[in-house]
Amino acid sequence: MRRILTIMTTLLLAGSVAVVSAERLPRPEKITLDNGLIVYYYQNSELPLVSFRLLIKGAGSAFEPEGLDGLANFTADMLLNGTRTMTAEEISEALDFMGARLSFTSTEEYATGGGDCLSQFLPRLLKIAADCLSSPAFKEDEYKKELSRKIDSLKAVKDNPGQALRQYFKKAYFGQHPFGHIPLGTDSSLGKMTVAELKRFHSVRYRPDTAVMAIVGDIKRAELIKILKETVGQWPKPKTPASVTNLPPLPSPAGPKLVLVDKPDATQAYFALGSPGFAQNDRMAVVASIMNTLWGGRFTSWLNTELRIKRGLTYGASSGFQSWQTGGLFMASSYTKNEKIGEMLDITFDLLKKARSQGFSPQEIESAKNYIVGQFPQSLETNSSKASAYLRLIYYGLGFDYYDRYLGEIEAARPEAIKQAAIKLLPEKNYTLVVVGKASEIKTILDKFGRWEEKKITDPDF
Amino acid sequence: MPKKIVIFILSLCWMTVMVQAAFKKEDIKVFQLDNGLKIILYEDHKMPNISYYTFFKVGSRCERPGLTGVSHFIEHMMFNGTSQFGPGEFDRLMEFSGGANNAYTGDDFTAYTDWFPAKALEKMVELEADRMQGLLFDPQVLESERGVVASERRLSVENNNEAILYENVRATAIMAHPYHWDVIGWMSDILGWRPAEIKQYYKTYYAPNNAILVVVGDFETSKLLELLKKHYGPIPAQSPPPPVVTVEPPQLGRKEVVIRKEAQTPSFLVVYHGPACSNSDYFALSILEKPLLQGESSRLYRRLVREEQLAISVYGGLEDKIDPYLFMIEVKPRPGADLGRIEKIIDEELSKIVKEGLTETEYEKALNIIRSGFYSGLQTNSGKANMLGAMEILYGSYDRLFTLVDSYLAIKRQDIPAIAGKYFNELNKTAGYLIPEGGQK
Repeated sequence: MRRILTIMTTLLLAGSVAVVSAERLPRPEKITLDNGLIVYYYQNSELPLVSFRLLIKGAGSAFEPEGLDGLANFTADMLLNGTRTMTAEEISEALDFMGARLSFTSTEEYATGGGDCLSQFLPRLLKIAADCLSSPAFKEDEYKKELSRKIDSLKAVKDNPGQALRQYFKKAYFGQHPFGHIPLGTDSSLGKMTVAELKRFHSVRYRPDTAVMAIVGDIKRAELIKILKETVGQWPKPKTPASVTNLPPLPSPAGPKLVLVDKPDATQAYFALGSPGFAQNDRMAVVASIMNTLWGGRFTSWLNTELRIKRGLTYGASSGFQSWQTGGLFMASSYTKNEKIGEMLDITFDLLKKARSQGFSPQEIESAKNYIVGQFPQSLETNSSKASAYLRLIYYGLGFDYYDRYLGEIEAARPEAIKQAAIKLLPEKNYTLVVVGKASEIKTILDKFGRWEEKKITDPDF
Repeated sequence: MPKKIVIFILSLCWMTVMVQAAFKKEDIKVFQLDNGLKIILYEDHKMPNISYYTFFKVGSRCERPGLTGVSHFIEHMMFNGTSQFGPGEFDRLMEFSGGANNAYTGDDFTAYTDWFPAKALEKMVELEADRMQGLLFDPQVLESERGVVASERRLSVENNNEAILYENVRATAIMAHPYHWDVIGWMSDILGWRPAEIKQYYKTYYAPNNAILVVVGDFETSKLLELLKKHYGPIPAQSPPPPVVTVEPPQLGRKEVVIRKEAQTPSFLVVYHGPACSNSDYFALSILEKPLLQGESSRLYRRLVREEQLAISVYGGLEDKIDPYLFMIEVKPRPGADLGRIEKIIDEELSKIVKEGLTETEYEKALNIIRSGFYSGLQTNSGKANMLGAMEILYGSYDRLFTLVDSYLAIKRQDIPAIAGKYFNELNKTAGYLIPEGGQK
């Protein structure tokens, strides 16, 4: 495999743009059920498949009580572990039998659900999904099994430097802000977790009137409406009003914050460098996307060219933006042999500086525009990617014509605005830098970058 | 890396009936140029993009000691310049035209996968045809790329306990056949390949008579064919590559790998020699693997993860390869779990299948999983292109895609115990344990 896909870039680029005819994303039909659940629907009968996606506002990790990292994810995980009418075994048996997928998880802001199946099985899949959402059993024995699996998974994460890096970075960058909650949980938070907390989180946060759903695939309208009414339409709406889902603004690093995580068996050193980005509805997204494509967002980006193509220091280097309602994050990351980490960081900082001072050439900008526009149609090719796009546009209030407008703005973006985006968004002095590696080999190399807060990977938490 | 491809191809199986609904054999146009290049085209105008997949019949199966990993290395060098387009130009021109690409190398073949807007078609044909014969192998670039691949090996194998165990178990189970080594190759070979050998390898295997081109998407077949003739036609054929003749001798007894290293959690893997994908037994094992270890309702997940709580996850199965490969069962044990006990439970569950086979429900479930995976793979232009190419190489013809169903349906539920018995026995097995330093086995 030649390339490493970066999660962060795809988050933004998946929200990029398209070509030809006016409508890049086919408009869905809106269906409102009696319990307040809103469903967006688009029929695609090319193959006998259906996908749905679900988003529940305010059920993400940022809404966990302080110290209970992982509660949102744990709650989502437990939905498949038994309901009032089905045991965990019965659920997995039914799903596997259909060759279907059903999953629940959480992001910082919201919980998500997703299902994919052969069209013939949609009624059954939605019945199970509705059951999981409305009446999870939270049985003590299932809870204990899940808990001990989570405790073990934390150890496995620490064996994998790339995965460990993401957790340490989250804590270092967001600190006490709720976005610093670790979805996997931490040793301390899992120690404090109780099944009562999960039940409370579910009863307060999982509601049909704060959820939105999208269904795309081989299903006729009349049939779908009937199925919806009998399944997710039965998810009861609580009488109490929904709780507030506002979050404080994201933190901004003041000065450099450096964290070194010692992993004595690592043969490579991994770094993540982060600084503030922008909110989902920020119009800067357009120029930022072009700027990032050129700086670290694709294979021929400056960062990958210097670190990988020219010097062979690494298998992959990339950067990307991640955006939420209240703000965003820029992050660059890569990894190399222990002794090369200093060289890698020097080059990275030089490239940040170069972009801020010089901007990009007209030819580079044309290339980035072609790339973003040319790659866009594929990002909406499948049923599930269309469903996810509907939810994203609804949640962030961007409108279903977002991609059409976005494309127009990409094409119109001017070099000066792109340089301004580099100056505003690429960090100079205010950033968080986390390195995971073998401290005894890299500490002296890293000293020149400033004062490092040191952690040991074997210590509890992140 | 190979594991990913495999999962994808495994899901190819079944479903003639429905394939005919939207994606018909009759709509696929096949051509062969005089130089031997095989061309498979499927027009689909649902969006203004094209997936352009080039397959070469070369992989780690074609390598020898000293040259292990070289197939994958050439995959990297394919982006590093030809006499016409200098180092990095391929990517620069492709991205300038709005295209993106990836490539992967497996044991049996190497694929170059491009996705781009329809208007970039001519440029992409030119770029792909050019690198089928004109690679530069600039000495400085070659050395830099060697470093990249070494880094890839450190990342994907040496810093990954499961991968370390997998590589060791594979090399222990397979003694003689080139499947002995992983696609990435041994580190000393990566550091030691001589440029002349690399170039000769490229010349032999990157020839039109050893390649298959699959294009799916928004183009006109007749116009595209003219373009292809113009750009690929002049490329000379080469002498056919030597056949892979080594046959893995039968295993004569249980083998075991025990690795002790610094880790927070143990790893466990057990493999059995399996059939080549052209063997009908392949389909039987591919059916039984689903209720055995796919999903949380599978027998092994139930026992190891839920009931006995010895493991965090279980996965594996059979990979479809040209020559006989391995049926793999990989378990992520919980810290401190008794690995011997895990092996014993797997033995018990396999013996049950050998004795009693699958239930009617399990058999039906396997076929549903196969159908569902099959359609999911067909949702995209790239998915279609990938399947057509893989079929052509692994099964000898792209249209095998439309008859695979018969191979699955030919396996009756009652046939499964006897077929399972041929493979799941102690003599045919290699078990691997990775024990955290200082831990107990």
